[in-house]
Amino acid sequence: MSFVSNATGAFYERSLSQMSGLRSSLETLQTQISTGTRIERGSDDPAAASRLRTLSRTERLAEVQADNADKLARDLTEAGDEVLGVANLLSRARELAIRAANDPVGEAGRAAIAEELAQLELELFDRANATTLTGEPLFAGTASGPAFVRAGDGSVSYNGNSEISSVTVAPGTELERGVTGLQIFEFNVNGTPTNAFAVLSGLAAALQPGVADPAAAARAALDGLDAAIDTTTRSQTVLGTRLAWVEVIQESQQDRALDVAEQQSNLGDTDIGEAIARLQQTLTALEASQSSFTRVANLTLFNAL
Amino acid sequence: MTGSLFQIARSGAAAARASIELTAQNIANASNPDYARRSLLTREFVGVSVSQGSVLNGVLIDGISRNNTAIVQQQARSSASELARADAELSGLRDTELALEQSRVFEGLVEFEAVLTQLEGNPLEPALRTNTLETARQLANTLNFADTTLGQARAQVQDAAGITVDEINAQAAELARINRSLVNARDGTAGQAALLDARDATLRALSDEIGVDVSFDASGAASVRVAEAGGVTGALLVDGVNPSTFAATTQANGTLAFTVGGSGVAPVRGAIAGQASALEAQAGYQNELDAITSDLIARANAAQSTGADADGAPGQPFFTGTSAATINLALTSGRQIATAPAGSPAGSTNTGNLASLIASIGADDGPVATTDTLLLGLSSRISAADTTRTGLAAIAGNAEATLLTETGVDLDTEAANLIRLQQAFDANARVLQVASDIFDTLLGLR
Repeated sequence: MSFVSNATGAFYERSLSQMSGLRSSLETLQTQISTGTRIERGSDDPAAASRLRTLSRTERLAEVQADNADKLARDLTEAGDEVLGVANLLSRARELAIRAANDPVGEAGRAAIAEELAQLELELFDRANATTLTGEPLFAGTASGPAFVRAGDGSVSYNGNSEISSVTVAPGTELERGVTGLQIFEFNVNGTPTNAFAVLSGLAAALQPGVADPAAAARAALDGLDAAIDTTTRSQTVLGTRLAWVEVIQESQQDRALDVAEQQSNLGDTDIGEAIARLQQTLTALEASQSSFTRVANLTLFNAL
Repeated sequence: MTGSLFQIARSGAAAARASIELTAQNIANASNPDYARRSLLTREFVGVSVSQGSVLNGVLIDGISRNNTAIVQQQARSSASELARADAELSGLRDTELALEQSRVFEGLVEFEAVLTQLEGNPLEPALRTNTLETARQLANTLNFADTTLGQARAQVQDAAGITVDEINAQAAELARINRSLVNARDGTAGQAALLDARDATLRALSDEIGVDVSFDASGAASVRVAEAGGVTGALLVDGVNPSTFAATTQANGTLAFTVGGSGVAPVRGAIAGQASALEAQAGYQNELDAITSDLIARANAAQSTGADADGAPGQPFFTGTSAATINLALTSGRQIATAPAGSPAGSTNTGNLASLIASIGADDGPVATTDTLLLGLSSRISAADTTRTGLAAIAGNAEATLLTETGVDLDTEAANLIRLQQAFDANARVLQVASDIFDTLLGLR
């Protein structure tokens, strides 16, 4: 005695599961709209969630790399300013040397020139030992102490090292921090290694009263000064080029940050328009099934008895 | 002859009344999901007389038939059992996902990488060094926390499995008790039908907890075996009137092993199977988390060992420990972070060693990448399990609806029956009236 019937229980069961399905998708849409994010947990969309993780890492590292680039730009600007000062100073020394070599300045005039050259040498020493805003020497390589030290006899020697470390300023891009004191102040004159300090103090000493043929000494010092100016100008160019590069990188970082933000939004944000349209559609379906449910549920033969 | 007419009408009225009672019973149980609709079995009653051949004696009530189809019941049981497995597994996996995503291991690693990169910009800045050290401490705490939350997720599943085991034993004992009553029940009685309802309800409840293969004997008593992989039927959980004890033992890695009456079984369906497979998965993710942690420790310590710290001293290990539970920060001061290559003097701004640590952490096979792989694997698995679950839910819903259609009460049918049976009763009463009239007529003859 088996026949198929339209069991009342089955009808209620079916209606209930259909309506609760609609209700649960309504709730999902509601959450997406109110939180603004499409992905609540990784399993909502595993691939997009992984992509979002990668993007958030890129974003965080880019923030830090932008900080690094700013710091590097500041350091390079400072180094550039100092090297520009050095170049001006050396030009002034060259003018003085030419005047000492040519003009009939007399002993008193040469003494004044020698005095000015000695001052210039002191200023040069200060500039060579310039530090960054955070207190590290600008031109000592990776060493910690002052870049140049003065010995008891007044001679100046390099105290730093020839290492230049790099800093990450963009994904996969490392830039060297600057130039060492060796690259700015040390050079060869006629095959003999010397430095700008020695050239200046040597000339100042040769122009002191009582030294024989100061004009010839001044002419001889011009070679050293020319070499010093050449070296400084080269360093200036290196610093300038590097700064320009940092600026290019900073610009591209900004572009990339925008790109990352846009991708994040595309992957993870709710498309409000679409979500609201779907919400409306689901609402309509739920309302319709509710009202049809009550009507059908009221249809029973018992009403006719 | 008139006596026979009375007898026929009386039996007809009684059968109609009994049917009306059954219909009322059906209507009363319309919303009882365990109730299978009943109908009355009747047959013609023909007596035999020696002199006149056969004698018509009306209708005989043969018994109560319970609308039932074993196959539909079995389909509903097994699909509900599959769904229960998927539900239990998904719930365990979701807890795991919550533990690993909410503890923010990935974000912790990225932050560590970020502060190291920041330190590269200004390696001797004390504030940055301290910040790096504290971020590393935070990362160690995050990994400890991930381990704890994963442990909690595991404990939750284990607790649920404990309850499931109790439930299985309770249902098995209940089924054995029903079996004993069924053996003694008389065929076709209301009592037997009620026992069969109870048997099917118990089997369904049992199937939700553990997948079973069921066989019935002539009296309707059910014997139950645990269903295993590949259609293998395992040990007897309920053998007629004798239940066996189902037990779970927790292994060292948190997974469960099961026995029935002392012999091992591996259930493939039901909540217990889902809980077992969630625990297996959690043990796997625990291993992966520990592997990521020990990889991080190894990479950070290896980098420290090839560098010199801010005071020019050889770098000391960054972290101690071997797993997510035991990782701890070993360095005590920011100055101990070995940013410079080995042999560098104190105060070196060389960041060569730091750069190799950053590269090692962010490498394609480094902890950041493997954590992403772990999370991606977990969420993909959940997403797939969710899809499977949706499919199983549809199948189970269909099977349930089919079962209800076969066994459930249709109020319209019952209402129609009510009208029909009322008419039948009236008609039989009318026959009684006619018999009475005939009798009166016969008595009135003079």
